[in-house]
Amino acid sequence: MKRGTRALARKILNSFITLMLVIVINFLLFRMMPGNPVNFVVPNDPKIPEEFKLELIEKYGLDDPLHEQFVTYIVDVFTLDFGDSFVYRNTPAMDLVLENMRWTLVLTGTSSILMIIIGMTIGVYAAWKRGGLFDTSSLSFSLFFYAMPTFWLGMMFIVLFAKMWDLFPADSAWNFKEPLEYSLNSLFDVLHHLVLPAATLTLVSIGAFVLIMRGSLMDVMTEEYITTAKAKGLTDSQVLRHHAVPNAMLPMVALIAIDIAYIVGGAFQVEYVFSYPGIGWATIEAVYIKDYPILQAAFFLIAVAVIIANLVADILLVYMDPRVKLG
Amino acid sequence: MIRIAITVDKKGLKKRRSAAVLSEPTREKLRLSKDKVKKTWRVFKQNRLGMAGLIILIVFFMMAVFASQIMWILAFIADWEYPYGPFDQVDEEFGGGAPSSEHWLGTDFRGSDILSRLIYGSRVSLIVGLVATVVSMGLGTIIGLLSGYWGGLKDEVLMRITDVFLVLPWLVLMIALAAVLPGGPTVGKVVFVIGITGWSATTRMVRAQVLSIKERAFVERARAIGSSDAHIVARHVFPNVFPIVFANAILTIALSILSESTLSFIGLGPDPTKVVTWGNMLEDAVKGGAMYNELYLWIFAPGLCIVFVVLGFTFVGYALDEIFNPKLRKR
Repeated sequence: MKRGTRALARKILNSFITLMLVIVINFLLFRMMPGNPVNFVVPNDPKIPEEFKLELIEKYGLDDPLHEQFVTYIVDVFTLDFGDSFVYRNTPAMDLVLENMRWTLVLTGTSSILMIIIGMTIGVYAAWKRGGLFDTSSLSFSLFFYAMPTFWLGMMFIVLFAKMWDLFPADSAWNFKEPLEYSLNSLFDVLHHLVLPAATLTLVSIGAFVLIMRGSLMDVMTEEYITTAKAKGLTDSQVLRHHAVPNAMLPMVALIAIDIAYIVGGAFQVEYVFSYPGIGWATIEAVYIKDYPILQAAFFLIAVAVIIANLVADILLVYMDPRVKLG
Repeated sequence: MIRIAITVDKKGLKKRRSAAVLSEPTREKLRLSKDKVKKTWRVFKQNRLGMAGLIILIVFFMMAVFASQIMWILAFIADWEYPYGPFDQVDEEFGGGAPSSEHWLGTDFRGSDILSRLIYGSRVSLIVGLVATVVSMGLGTIIGLLSGYWGGLKDEVLMRITDVFLVLPWLVLMIALAAVLPGGPTVGKVVFVIGITGWSATTRMVRAQVLSIKERAFVERARAIGSSDAHIVARHVFPNVFPIVFANAILTIALSILSESTLSFIGLGPDPTKVVTWGNMLEDAVKGGAMYNELYLWIFAPGLCIVFVVLGFTFVGYALDEIFNPKLRKR
């Protein structure tokens, strides 16, 4: 227990250091670029009125020396104040990004649950019937989707299911002709819009889960305790359910931790292709219109979310596997 | 007859002369490494997926190298006016044309032949994948070697930095970098962005290997006879890490090609009027209204090329990984 606690403390400390570094990078990224920093934080866009620029320069202290700017920035970060959006005047960037974050959570949450459940099931069956038809076909299926650009699979789905057969909508997250409310109708509408994006995200990321589950279960199957269990006279499904799968789960949890960053990358592409109003869509839009406060807020929020998710997975791993040592 | 005899003799002479320059141990080493390559190839040939991947890759590399010749031959067979270049405006009407006998995959909204763009597009797509991989694998290997070999505080510092790059979603970092870096969209910038965001996984892997290798007896022996740290890392540690790095580099090429296509698709890739890649063809397809005008081949073809190239590299990479990774070989 004592070792577990120390491991935990160490993980939390590391995550904290990572977060601090991300905050520094977020500062440097948008300010240390060559040229006049004012032009980077406030682009030379004639659409942005002069007094707004002056106000921003005043607010961020862009005329101050760099270290003083950094202090201002740190205070801003800890009060979650990244300034107002350049485009949606008088709206804090953080509020806009948080609103988008909800849709990203809906999308990634749904897909993650689907990919874990389906990926694990396929992986277990493939390993159980190793070398068989199911094994080979599920392997090729996984690799095929793994090799696919996420955005392209999304486009294929739009062509197939939205253009050729008009089954599912392919833009936005709800029908915005009608207001979104807590009703069965709205829920159905949101789910209807979720089908294609979630299917895309699930399919491209499922391969890793199938491969890892299959490999890990095949490893476990060679262990002596499996032979013992079989010798005891347990049925195949009992061996699988009580001895093999639980022990094969550890690499899965580790994978989930690693995969979070990739799933977010996938979500960005899916949101962009389906105009799904999540954080990825907002970020890419912000790049086009050079809305730097939005970019900074999104970058920060995503980093925090991923670091926390990783930490949770790491903690789970420490408690699930008594052998985990700190490397 | 006589001439043949002379050339054989000349070759024999040459061999003998160069062999004399090489010292005995160097020659032995060369022989061993040659044997190793041969052995690897023999095992690789057994792997059906690996061979399939290799064939796919050879086809695409031929396509990249002989792009203009292929277009020339196609023009001859199909009786086109001339072999279309990727930037030629062959269609008077802008806005994209449907496939025809003149333009098998149709034309895009600039009036260029899509098939030509597809074939020429293999060049930059492959080059970006290769060069970006060299950058990221190089960075990753060097940092991993140093971090693992040094240990202690330096290791700790390097690992925390690695963590940042490992945790941050690659696409987010790429978008932020590509958006903030000065200068227009160029191939060099795309390579830089992909390289700088993709090294962290390699570092982790190399470091783990180094940690186990540096405890081995031969490293201790080398240290005992007074070899410098640089010598030990370069001559004893690195050669033992290299095979796994190589297998992973092949897998990383696949990821780099996917990254390039994604960046280009979002509009942060090279300028489609100057450079053609499969990624920016897809960007063009969306901007040019391929969906709206139902020109689906325009979307379908470049994507399929990406899928096959990525599959090719993935198959070869996994096959090599199985050969070089001692953990996998046992099974």
